[in-house]
Amino acid sequence: MLNRRQFLAAAGGAIGATASGTLLAGHVWPLLNKEDLIPGRAPEATLEAQAWPSSPDRLRFAAVGDNGSGGRQAMAVAERMAETYAQQPFGLVALLGDICYYGNFEDRYEDVFRRPMAPLLDAGVGFELAIGNHDAALRHSDDGIEEIEAELRLLGTPSTYYSTTHGPVDFFYLDSSVPGVFGPDSSTQWEWLDDTLASSTSQWKVVALHHPLYSSGRHSSTVGARERLEPILARHHVDLVLAGHDHNYERTHPQQGVTYVVSGGGCKTTAVGQSRFTAAAASVLQFVLVDIDGDRLTASCVAVDGAIVDRFELRAREGR
Amino acid sequence: MRRELLDAVAPPLYGAVDFLVILAPALAVKLASDRGGMGDTEGLDLVAASAVLGAVHAFVAGARLLSEERTAIRRADMWIAAVDALVVLTLAATILPVVVLWGFADEHASLADRGYPVVVLWAGVQAVAIVLAETTGRVVFWWLEPHPRSRFRIRGHLVGLRSPWRHVERPDTTRG
Repeated sequence: MLNRRQFLAAAGGAIGATASGTLLAGHVWPLLNKEDLIPGRAPEATLEAQAWPSSPDRLRFAAVGDNGSGGRQAMAVAERMAETYAQQPFGLVALLGDICYYGNFEDRYEDVFRRPMAPLLDAGVGFELAIGNHDAALRHSDDGIEEIEAELRLLGTPSTYYSTTHGPVDFFYLDSSVPGVFGPDSSTQWEWLDDTLASSTSQWKVVALHHPLYSSGRHSSTVGARERLEPILARHHVDLVLAGHDHNYERTHPQQGVTYVVSGGGCKTTAVGQSRFTAAAASVLQFVLVDIDGDRLTASCVAVDGAIVDRFELRAREGR
Repeated sequence: MRRELLDAVAPPLYGAVDFLVILAPALAVKLASDRGGMGDTEGLDLVAASAVLGAVHAFVAGARLLSEERTAIRRADMWIAAVDALVVLTLAATILPVVVLWGFADEHASLADRGYPVVVLWAGVQAVAIVLAETTGRVVFWWLEPHPRSRFRIRGHLVGLRSPWRHVERPDTTRG
C-alpha cells in the first residue's frame, strides 16, 4: 500500500504523464513537425540590378506563398530565390499571402520580409501581395484592420484587391480572406473582378489569391470561393491561378481551361495527396518561376535545394 | 535474482529513455527540414547539441537511479521519483523550446541575424529542462523517503523536522 506522500507523488506523476502525453501528441509535436520556429540567417547574396525580361511580349516573375516565418526554412527559400535570380533574373514576385507568422507584420517586417528578401529588394525586384488568412486573421477587429493596413502600406500595395499589368500579363490580386469571399460586401469584389477581366486586353491573365480553389493539401479546396469564382475565371479565359494556403506545391489539369497552382511551400511543409484534378504535387519547400515569351508560358516549381519538382507549359488561350 | 537483474538493467535503461526524450524534439525539427528538402546538414547542430546534453544527463540520471537503488528504504519511492523526473523532463525538454521560440520570435530572429547561434539558445533551454527534471527526481525521492525526526528550536519553539542528512538505518532484510 502507498502512504499519503507516495500516493500524492505517484498521482502527480500519472496526471503529469497523461497531461504531457495529450499536450505533446495533440499540440507540441505537430507544431515542431510543421512550423518553422528555428530562427534563420538572412541570405548574404549581393545581386546586381538586371534588365529582367519585360517587354510587351516577355515577362519573367516568381510566386511564393506562406513564407512569413523568418525562420531557417523561409531564409533557405529566399536564398534559393536569390540564387535563381542570379541565373534567371526576374523583376516581380507575387506574394500569395501569409507573409507574417508568429507576430504582427509591422513588428516583424524586418524579420519576415526585409531581411530574407533583401538581395531581391536591393536588386530592384518588385513585390505584389495577395493577402492571406494569417495576414487577416483578425479582420473584423481593430487589430486585424491595422495589420492589413500595415502590410498594404509597407509593401506599397494599393488595396486589398487590385490589378496590375507587366509586359504581356494582367495580374489580378484578390482578397480571399473570410470577409473578402463570404462577407456582406464580397459581391463588390466579384463584380470588380468580372468587370476588370472583361476589360483586360493583355495576352495573358493571371489571378493570384491566397486560398486555393483546387487543393489536395491539408486545407483542401476552398469550395465556397470556387463556386463564386470559377464561372468568372472560365468566362474570361484566365490562363493561370496562383494560390498558397496549403504548404505544398500542386498543379491541376486545366479545369474549364484554367490551370490552378498552389505554391505555399515558402517556409513550411504539410502533406499533399492526389485528387482527380491533380497533375503534379509535392510536399516541399519551394517557389514557382514563370517565364512568358509571346504566346508560350513556361513555369517551374523550384525546390529549396534547386531541384525542379515540376515544369509545365501553357499556350495563350484562344477565344479572346 | 530477478531483483538483482532489475537493479542491473534499470539504470542504463532509464538513462537510454532519458537520452531519447532529450533528443526527440531536435530530431522532429531535423525530420521536418529533411521532408521540406533542406540539405542533409540542416538541423544537425540542434541534434548534436541535444545528443551531447542527452548523453551527459543519461549518465547522471542512470547514476542517480543506481545510487537510489542502494540507499532507498522503500523501492517504491525510487520508482515514483524516477517516473516523476521523467515526466517533467518529457514535458519541459519539448515544451520549453517551443514556447521560447514561438513566444519570442522577434528577439530570436534579431539575435540570429546578429550572428548569435541558435544552437546556444536551444541547448540553454534544454539545459533548464534537465535541471528541472533532475531537481524533481532528487527532491521527490528525498521527500518520500523516511527520515528520523530532529528537533530544532526556532524562536523558542521546538519544531520537528525530517533531516535529510540523517538517514534511518536500512532494514536488515537478510534476517529471517
